[in-house]
Amino acid sequence: MKKTSIKNLLVAMTATATLGTVSVSYAEDPIRIGGLYILSGSAATYGEFAQKGIDLAVDEINGSGGILGRQVEMVYEDSQGKASVAIQAARKLVYSEGVDALVGLDSSGVAQGMVPTMPELQKPLIITHAATPDVTGNLCNAFTYRISVNVAQNMKAAALVAAETDATNWTTIGPDYAFGHQSWEFFGNYLKELKPDVNLMSETNFPRFGAEDFTPFIDRVMDSDAEGVLISVWGGDLVNFIRQANTRGFFEKDMEVMFTVGAATEVLSALGEEMPEGVHLSTRYWYEAYDNPVNDRFVKAYIDAYGTPPSYNAEGAYAAIYAYKKAMETAGTTEGPAVAKALSGMSLEAPNGTVTFREGDHQAMVSPNWGVSGPMHPEHGIRTLTNLQIFDGEKVARTIEETGCKL
Amino acid sequence: MSGIGAALLNSLDIGLLLFIIAVGLNIVFGVLNIINFAHGALYMLGAYLAFTLINIAGMPFWAALLLAPVGVAILAVVIDRVLLRFIYSRDVADSLLLTFAILLIINESVRMIWGSGIHVVQPPDLLSGSVRLLGSSVATYSLFVIVIGLLLLAGLWYLFNRTRVGRIMRAAALDRDMAEALCINTRLVVTGVFAFGAWLAAVGGVMAAPMRALDPGMGDKIIIESFIVVVIGGLGSFPGALFGAIILGLIHGFGGRYLPEVNLLLPFVGMALVLLFKPNGIMGKGANA
Repeated sequence: MKKTSIKNLLVAMTATATLGTVSVSYAEDPIRIGGLYILSGSAATYGEFAQKGIDLAVDEINGSGGILGRQVEMVYEDSQGKASVAIQAARKLVYSEGVDALVGLDSSGVAQGMVPTMPELQKPLIITHAATPDVTGNLCNAFTYRISVNVAQNMKAAALVAAETDATNWTTIGPDYAFGHQSWEFFGNYLKELKPDVNLMSETNFPRFGAEDFTPFIDRVMDSDAEGVLISVWGGDLVNFIRQANTRGFFEKDMEVMFTVGAATEVLSALGEEMPEGVHLSTRYWYEAYDNPVNDRFVKAYIDAYGTPPSYNAEGAYAAIYAYKKAMETAGTTEGPAVAKALSGMSLEAPNGTVTFREGDHQAMVSPNWGVSGPMHPEHGIRTLTNLQIFDGEKVARTIEETGCKL
Repeated sequence: MSGIGAALLNSLDIGLLLFIIAVGLNIVFGVLNIINFAHGALYMLGAYLAFTLINIAGMPFWAALLLAPVGVAILAVVIDRVLLRFIYSRDVADSLLLTFAILLIINESVRMIWGSGIHVVQPPDLLSGSVRLLGSSVATYSLFVIVIGLLLLAGLWYLFNRTRVGRIMRAAALDRDMAEALCINTRLVVTGVFAFGAWLAAVGGVMAAPMRALDPGMGDKIIIESFIVVVIGGLGSFPGALFGAIILGLIHGFGGRYLPEVNLLLPFVGMALVLLFKPNGIMGKGANA
């Protein structure tokens, strides 16, 4: 007897749940946005951060009436950090999931492979993390935008920082793919322009991505006569690198050390006090760098929801959803080509200030942040950034001619 | 000169850690004829269990070094009894598929339990810091890895050559039917060997935890390295695991130091060279055939 009543209850509950869905579906279909991030493997944390930022934005937008009166819904696919997987996933999102727009991409290698297929899909893509200059350069197209800092912008800022130091002999340690090599190339070119007497050493170091043991490369730089070293190793690799460098006394050497993605909050929280003091750290967005209502709201909401300060990747993804909101409302439609067109030249208020997608190459004019690692943050358990410099996005960007983008 | 000393010690440190991991893979193949794709995932579990015991339960490193591998070995017994027992008599390809599935399950579980973030484990106070050796500074922990690697090497040699359990394992590897006819409980041997392989993987994971950041992809990275070791050394060979691991250690240690431009290629060049001249690996069975 009892059993039956529970069964009935379950049936009733299921029925109610179904009714609920039915009544929702009478409303207008939601706007669907496809997210393409690394959701598995070593770099999965980046996909997770992006999702956290997006969730905040989607909740806020849906809570205040959605976009064009419609709710926003996310559909995610795992790019696995591979271009071929990402292309297939993007097609799936567009053709079978029917998404109206795309956000994502964590890896430069993936971005280089995927961006050329965007015109075929006829949907806009806002890149929120991958930093290769090519996608808003020689590979640019009408559907591809980037809301985050790219390598060229960040390396222009890095060169400005490096030029202020006394170091003349520079080398690099970076991952052996597009990101590591392009970082060094742009840094070297800019630094040479600013300070023609610098020597860019021919002995460079490109360990493979995911190398785990960086000791041989650390030793090599310590034994060389480098006075400055640009390090573009990132993520879990960077955590490994710094811990191994600590045991070798790398940071006790009289050397300028610059980490191009060193102030990523996930790296700082993993390392805690093991992140040395007094090294140059950069990030694409530092949560304490911006004093504006959007940032205040974002940082507070993020810490309330997840207990840690937001990483740059969460910020980029958060801002991208708001960019779509504005573009779709401007265009008055969710049609791919119209939304893509509305993004061009558009400005929006993001946590990192007023962000404008430049018309000529669709790169957002956003500011790289550089600072020097300082004492531990009393609440967040990570190193603080001192001597913080917020470089003017416009000034560190390449000219349209330099980007090689023809739109 | 100090550079060479440092590179040598670094090579040994990388190599012996790889040995601890790859030898388990090799023993499991040698006795059970299974290529265990999930071996790297078990290594990762060892590291994450150590992280939990040390950073969350507040235990000392030494307790984690003892307990975490035992935990993984117990899980291995379950995997063996529930899943693997169905495929021991089948083709190697089936075991590859099944263990790949186990790898995916473990990877995803680790991500669900511990999150996708980066975790670190501190070395015990006794082993933190560095010492001067061969004209360069070496992390004390690296020396510890070398010592443990050598101890395990000696222990395994003793186990296989001087003990009854080792002889039974070898007998089961050579001819399971005959072993059974001699009243050896091969079912127990099979489970024991698989658990032992998992225990070794987990020891490697705990050893690696204080020097390598923990993330949900760490098992995938190490399994590729382990396969390279096994290809170079010879599948199923105990000395092969040692040779392969030391050679790969040297490739990483010296390659990174002196040939950084091609460091990405070197492990594969090494593997290709071995395959050209010794298709079964340096110590592989039938290497002379």
